[in-house]
Amino acid sequence: MKLLLIEDEKELALSIQKYLTDKDFVCEWVNNTKDALDKIFIYDYDCILLDLMLPDGNGFKILKELKQQNKAEGIIIISAKETLETRIEGFNLGADDYLTKPFHLSELLVRIQALIRRKNFKGSNIVAFNEIYIDILSKTVKVDNNKIDITKKEIDLLLYLIGNENRVLSKSAIAEHLSGDMADMLDNHDFVYAHIKNLKKKLNDAGSRDYIKSVYGLGYKWKNE
Amino acid sequence: MKEADDTLLLHKKEFLTYTSSTLTYADIAAWNRFNRNVKIDSGKKVTKDSLFFSTYLDTLDAEIEPYRELNFPISIQGKPYTYSARINLVETEDLIKNIAFLFLAIISILLIGLFFITKKLSLNLWKPFYRTLEQIESFEIDKTKQPEFSKTDIEEFNRLNASIVKLIEKNTAIYKSQKEFIENAAHELQTPLAVFQAKIDTLIQRSDVTREQSEILGSLNENVSRLNRLNKNLLLLSKIEHDNYGDKQTVLLSNYIQKNLDFFTEQANAKHLIVKVEMQEDVEIKSNPILAEILISNLFLNSIKHNIEAGQIGIVIKEGKLVFSNSGQPGPLNTNKLFNRFSKANPSEQGTGLGLSIIKKIADINHWSVFYKYENNLHSFSIAF
Repeated sequence: MKLLLIEDEKELALSIQKYLTDKDFVCEWVNNTKDALDKIFIYDYDCILLDLMLPDGNGFKILKELKQQNKAEGIIIISAKETLETRIEGFNLGADDYLTKPFHLSELLVRIQALIRRKNFKGSNIVAFNEIYIDILSKTVKVDNNKIDITKKEIDLLLYLIGNENRVLSKSAIAEHLSGDMADMLDNHDFVYAHIKNLKKKLNDAGSRDYIKSVYGLGYKWKNE
Repeated sequence: MKEADDTLLLHKKEFLTYTSSTLTYADIAAWNRFNRNVKIDSGKKVTKDSLFFSTYLDTLDAEIEPYRELNFPISIQGKPYTYSARINLVETEDLIKNIAFLFLAIISILLIGLFFITKKLSLNLWKPFYRTLEQIESFEIDKTKQPEFSKTDIEEFNRLNASIVKLIEKNTAIYKSQKEFIENAAHELQTPLAVFQAKIDTLIQRSDVTREQSEILGSLNENVSRLNRLNKNLLLLSKIEHDNYGDKQTVLLSNYIQKNLDFFTEQANAKHLIVKVEMQEDVEIKSNPILAEILISNLFLNSIKHNIEAGQIGIVIKEGKLVFSNSGQPGPLNTNKLFNRFSKANPSEQGTGLGLSIIKKIADINHWSVFYKYENNLHSFSIAF
């Protein structure tokens, strides 16, 4: 999978690049509009991560260019700007997702995965991990072909954990992922524990192996042993 | 009295100087016939001046009236006579009374006239001042409208208006820059926060992190996420102040409760809270939908956050009113600072201290009122639409 990261903040870009590269993505990075447009002309990408405020112009310029060229790239805007207007303008210009800074790298990763799944969607949308099958469209989960009773939120959590396989996920990152728009108001992240516990129990009861490991002092990790 | 005596003595002097020398016996009868108040008497024998009170019947008024009388001896052609002059005291008294009454009347008319003239004049004169006063009273610094003062003919008021305009302009400018400062600061913090967050996310992936280090990282992580929330809420507050959420729509209140009830119930369950909802389904409010949702979420989370283990939450929606009540710390909260930014009942708690000020701000821009009440061990916040 090939990604293009357009971001002028070097430190942030390096962290994103590192996190994604470890996940079998090829992530190229440019820090201005001009270089970005050059790259887009020559190569095709599966996904473009776009910062809106760039030293030589607005990120919307790139969106317009992509639209004109009828490029099919998936685009995720990553921006510190968070007004309804910029969001709407971004979506109107063809962006697929909008992530406000600051965000967790794990969140960015699952958004990219979800976007690529949607783009490559051919009749079915299934995430499989060993004995676990998740059908995203019908919102069902099977363990060894046995359907389990699971809530929407637990599926969301499961996808988040599997998507970030072998990564330590902090309690706050999980909480923010699960609470969505409400995250900014939520001060207490203790509910994460209850969700993890329930999900673990449901998977284990259905005969799945125990992939969810807790990491001391930090959070949890999905690990294939 | 004194006047009466003086008049009588004057009469005496006048008589002695002009009349007494030319008077003859024959004239006395005529004199007495034509003078009512002055008599020349031969019967009385007085040897010196005597002033005294006496009363006589007034034949015209048919009543007895007090008189002041002066008797003194005179000689007419060598023979001694008594000259007696009298003055009706009632007449003098009446005169004084009349004069006093007249004066009083004139003064009263003058005073009343003066009062009305002054009143009318001052009303006219102070009109510009009252206009200015009205403008200042209705002025609110967070509303953009600046008061406009009309020009007057009175220099002092012009000066007053000019200095008020200056004062307001200066304050508005300071207020604006303060507001912008908060917004800019919050905005500028986003990028370093994003880097901070990303670096921590990267760091916790390392396999060589010891138990001790992971504890530190965990706490770092929690605090950067708290910082992030704080920043987002500050941004939200200034965005509400800047009227970024202007467009109002009619929204169904119960929809917002229903929509997020699962999420909140989940949060409430972690504390084993009992949530009771009493909802009138068709209550509509006019508001920006995003703000309405933020308001309800903040109220709901507030009632969860400050609750006690196994406590309760009551939600009531009826026409024109939304009430969230919850069990919590015993005793009412300090209402003075309740809605201020960063005011917390318990300074060590994890919250941002912005929840209630956001609630207040949203209520303010929609012209709703927020009330806090402590009753039956329940803290309740109600919004009156």
